[in-house]
Amino acid sequence: MNPLPSIQARLARALLVWSLVWSLAVALAVWLAVQQQVEDLLDESLQSAAELLKAPLMAEDATLPAESGGPDAAGSSDLADDADSGFAWQVVQYSPADAADVLFNSATAPTVAWRLAPTTGFSDGAGWRVFGTRLADDGRFLYVGQTRDERSEVQIEVALSVAAATLSIGLLAHFWLRARVRYELLPVQRLAERLAAHDPIADGGSLGVAECEELQPMHAAIDTLAARLAHRLAQERAFTAHAAHALRTPLAGIDAQLAVALRESPPALQPRLQRVRSAAGRLQRVVSALLTLFRSGVELRRQTIDPAALVTRLAIDGLTVELAETQAISADPDLLAAALLNLLDNALRNGAQRLVLSTPGRGCLRLHDDGTGVAPERLQQLQAAISAQTYEGNTGLGLMLADLIARAHGGQLVLPLVEGGFAVELQLG
Amino acid sequence: MRLLLIEDDDILGEGLRDFLSADGHSVDWCRTLREVSGYHGEPYDALLVDWQLPDGSGLDWLRGRRLNRDATPALMLTARDLLSDRIRGLDSGADDYLVKPFAPEELLARLRAVCRRSAGSAAGRLSFGEVDIDLAGRSAWRAGQRVALTAREWAVLEALVLRAGRIVPKDDVERLVVGFDSELASNAIEVHIFGLRRKLGREIIETVRGLGYRVGKPR
Repeated sequence: MNPLPSIQARLARALLVWSLVWSLAVALAVWLAVQQQVEDLLDESLQSAAELLKAPLMAEDATLPAESGGPDAAGSSDLADDADSGFAWQVVQYSPADAADVLFNSATAPTVAWRLAPTTGFSDGAGWRVFGTRLADDGRFLYVGQTRDERSEVQIEVALSVAAATLSIGLLAHFWLRARVRYELLPVQRLAERLAAHDPIADGGSLGVAECEELQPMHAAIDTLAARLAHRLAQERAFTAHAAHALRTPLAGIDAQLAVALRESPPALQPRLQRVRSAAGRLQRVVSALLTLFRSGVELRRQTIDPAALVTRLAIDGLTVELAETQAISADPDLLAAALLNLLDNALRNGAQRLVLSTPGRGCLRLHDDGTGVAPERLQQLQAAISAQTYEGNTGLGLMLADLIARAHGGQLVLPLVEGGFAVELQLG
Repeated sequence: MRLLLIEDDDILGEGLRDFLSADGHSVDWCRTLREVSGYHGEPYDALLVDWQLPDGSGLDWLRGRRLNRDATPALMLTARDLLSDRIRGLDSGADDYLVKPFAPEELLARLRAVCRRSAGSAAGRLSFGEVDIDLAGRSAWRAGQRVALTAREWAVLEALVLRAGRIVPKDDVERLVVGFDSELASNAIEVHIFGLRRKLGREIIETVRGLGYRVGKPR
């Protein structure tokens, strides 16, 4: 069977998707919002670095050689130590002949001037973001630059940090909401537990006050259903009581009249009257079983029953019931008596004179008679009809009643193949 | 025994009346509680009461009798077979509860058992000194020898034995023996008492002057 859709699981999935989408959306929004800020910050830091470099460079101006050909010259200075700073710099000398000579540069800066013409402020080009400032009036300019890659790296780092932060918040919110959903759905679980223990007839039909507003319609619907059930049950009970009275009293009357007739009749008539009385007795047993079954459809009153005591109650003229090894069984005494009476009646009508009652297993009552029995094929047909509960036209009333009673106990009727006679096993769950 | 049968079903009532009468009992059969009121004050050995009657509840009627300290043994005859009904019936004063349909032979056996217990013995045979009495077999023995009693003598003895230990007024004995509609000669009870004393011994029945007769409790 496919698992049923779960509100909790579906909400959890939806929450997870929404948490992720929300986190990414927030991360994107934050990143878009702070991207320019990061650019500005980087520019500010570039400018600050230029300001910091400018002062020492102007101070060292006198000591620096007039010309320098490469990075080695700068390497002798502390100013060239920019490996960790993330910035590169150049001091460029512009001559009137439009020449741009790099006087000094940091290790990571190119030896070719970033700007061929004197440029102050920020400018972009050749993969660098450069801030230029005039060092002196002699045409020297200081340029502090940062690669575009480095700036992108910083941007990505910021974006990732924002994404990580929003994702963490999103996931935390997801788990919190998930726990909250579980908590909010607990009343539904408790309602199920209350329903499992609820007897709409015994409890007066009401399930009690709902735990939350959303469950109130369910409570109202269940209470309405319980009221309908109780009404229906009351009607059925009333009908059964009337039917019981209407059937049982005339049956008792017939038996009393026959008992008197048997006493008063001439001897020649007595066997015939005795047969009529036996038939009336069988009718009584069937009617009693039917009434018991209909009445007990609602409740099962299990008790520990001694089969020996039961058999004493169920004596039927013409059939000797013997007890093999028996153990106490748990069953509804009235229902079991009704089932046994019909099975004993069946045995008697099928030529049995002796019947052995035993308990071969826990909750199992076996009756084996010495009657005519049935052929194996017919036995199979009977068993199939009982298993499929297709009694009509396939089994007699006795087997049907016995099976219904066994099923009311959580078991069923089984017809084992035996040598000689007929056997039934009432498996009572 | 003198029995009051309250049963509204004609076929069952008639059948039971005839069956019990054929067994030697005197049966007053009423179909309604209104009819029963016509028998007010009559002594009975046992009451056979149907629960559902056209003009009321037999159970309520019985409960009323019990409230009036009437201890006459009573059997409920009813089609109601629920456990709760059986408990209610017995708790309301019924000594036994028989669910319809039942065999009249079973009713008779239960009737005897209830009356026997009411007389103070659970055994089938009651013992009064050297006299033994079997109510079911309608037999009496004195010193181990079976004693033949006439039907009327037996009826008088049964009426007294079923009320063993209690004083039974002569009028009650008379009505228990002959029923509602019949009459005895004025000294008939004395004659039967005399016959019983002659056959079973003088000490079996005590005369309580001015009040009635009494049989001691069985041992």
